[in-house]
Amino acid sequence: MSTTLKRVHGYLAEFDSVKDLYHAAEHVRDAGYQRWDVHSPFPIHGMDTAMGNPRSKLPYFVFCGGITGTTVAFTLETITQTNFWQSIGLGFLQKIVETYPTVVQAKPTDIWTLPAFFPVMFELTILFSAFTTLFGLLALIGLPRWNHPLFVSKNFSKFSDDGFFVCIEARDPKFSQEGTKSLLEKLGGKNIELVEDEI
Amino acid sequence: MSHHVTFNDLPQGGEKFETAKGAKLINSLGFIGGVGLLASIYYFYAETSTFAYSWLFAVFFCFTFVVGGCFWILLHSVSNSGWGVSVRRIWENLANMIIPMAIFASPLLFPSVQTHLYEWMNHHREAAHHAAEHGSTVKEALHHMSEANPHLHVLVSKFGYMNLNPAGFSWYTRFFAYFLVLWFIASTLRGRSLKQEQDGDIKHTIRSRQFSSIVLLPFALTVTFAAYDWLVGLDYNWFSTMWGVYIFAGCAWASMAVSILVITWLRSLGYLQKVVTDEHYHLMGKLLFAFTVFWAYIAFSQYFLIWYANVTEETRFYLTRNTEGWRAVSIFILIGHFVAPFVFLLSQPRKKNPVVMSLGCIWIIFMHLVDMYWNVIPERGPSLGQGVWVPGAWMQDIAALCAVFGIMSFLYLRGLAKYSLYPWRDPRLIESVNVVN
Repeated sequence: MSTTLKRVHGYLAEFDSVKDLYHAAEHVRDAGYQRWDVHSPFPIHGMDTAMGNPRSKLPYFVFCGGITGTTVAFTLETITQTNFWQSIGLGFLQKIVETYPTVVQAKPTDIWTLPAFFPVMFELTILFSAFTTLFGLLALIGLPRWNHPLFVSKNFSKFSDDGFFVCIEARDPKFSQEGTKSLLEKLGGKNIELVEDEI
Repeated sequence: MSHHVTFNDLPQGGEKFETAKGAKLINSLGFIGGVGLLASIYYFYAETSTFAYSWLFAVFFCFTFVVGGCFWILLHSVSNSGWGVSVRRIWENLANMIIPMAIFASPLLFPSVQTHLYEWMNHHREAAHHAAEHGSTVKEALHHMSEANPHLHVLVSKFGYMNLNPAGFSWYTRFFAYFLVLWFIASTLRGRSLKQEQDGDIKHTIRSRQFSSIVLLPFALTVTFAAYDWLVGLDYNWFSTMWGVYIFAGCAWASMAVSILVITWLRSLGYLQKVVTDEHYHLMGKLLFAFTVFWAYIAFSQYFLIWYANVTEETRFYLTRNTEGWRAVSIFILIGHFVAPFVFLLSQPRKKNPVVMSLGCIWIIFMHLVDMYWNVIPERGPSLGQGVWVPGAWMQDIAALCAVFGIMSFLYLRGLAKYSLYPWRDPRLIESVNVVN
């Protein structure tokens, strides 16, 4: 007799089409569930609304990342190439420039040589934005991870081919073994299974 | 998500705009245009030299919207996009304003106007005079003149492009070609769109796509060369390879803002309620955002190259605009044309809000106006030898602007009533109406 301890991950239900999945999502949303997700082989337009997802917080991260990039580039360039910091009373930051100002093409060494710095400011803004987009996204969706409890289900492997799934997780406060199952049945879910993960 | 709209929800025959409903705005624009035109006629005779610049500024300002409208229908067809079907007629009508535009631009053909605007033409006419006397060619005469005045050497080098030979590849031929090409594109695409309203056949969409792919290049050349001939020609020594793209970026930007404003106005009068949704505002707002960045990218690249290279012939353009009062205008353009719209258009909820977007679009059109003013008018004082600012000439600028912009928008808004406000039998209308992005 096996003595493996198992934890209930949630109910997984399969749907026939995008349409069914979409309507199921609307009903699960209206039933007040919080911890659940849909899985489909391709993105479905309007699914965010159907699921009642709030707007992503990612843009705020990216904005801050971009601003940081601009600031870093501006600071780096003005400290090493101009006497700007000295002119606002922070000359200790750039003693070397004071001694050896970089004169390029007879351009001024004060803040008005700013146009020369724009390409770097632009590139670093893009770079930092791209980094925050990628790493912010990974952080928000909880990747990378070793495994996911849903992979226990054999049927679930269809999600990357032609399967449309709804999974309501057990950690949802409204989850109940009977109520959740009957909701999914009522919505036309097929192959409903209780996914249990080995601890 | 709201109810999925089907063909049954939309009226048969599309929506026809009744000018009486929008009479308040249309008549005020017509009134402004009429007053402006009277003032313009007075200034044209009283102050021809300074007023020539005002007129060029006003004409080019309105020309950019027409070109932009043409660009958006072209892009819409070429990229085979479905989302824009419900707003396409707005652009089609905008692009077809090219005929009144040609009438407003025609004063530029008069030598008495050209003589104040385009110094190179004066040299060419003098050379033609000498050539007739000595039986040589114009180019030879020009070359001969440049021995006394070395500044004219550049005109000899540029002779292949900058010349007045009415039969060849000259300023005059190109002037007519620009309007012909734009008229051909605009009327063909709207013609196809209207034919589709007869039979609802998808083949018109496909034909438009094929047609657009072919004329995209002539269109690009038209915008570029028109910008060179009319604006760069103000200073024959100056050149910038980015100029055409710079003007084009402004065209696309400002005309998108105009179409958003027109759509909001029509919706406030009760039209396009089902056809245009906040998703369309979002999509158009995104394009507006893209062109805000694109314009800044091009404007900066042009400035950057000229500033770094420090070549005398090139820097003159920015020297004029970075000294005296123009410096403040330059910095204002940097902030108002790029920084403010950039930050404003970042947020999705703002782009989806028609009221907020329309206020933003008014600002954008204003900034485009400032940009065009900044491009044309600084040449006036130095070219006419009247200092940096010609005193009192701003009144002429306003008169010209009222005349051209007022009458053009009066005609445009009245013209909306001619056809349905959206292509109601386009097979992809439903796709566009229910667009989600």
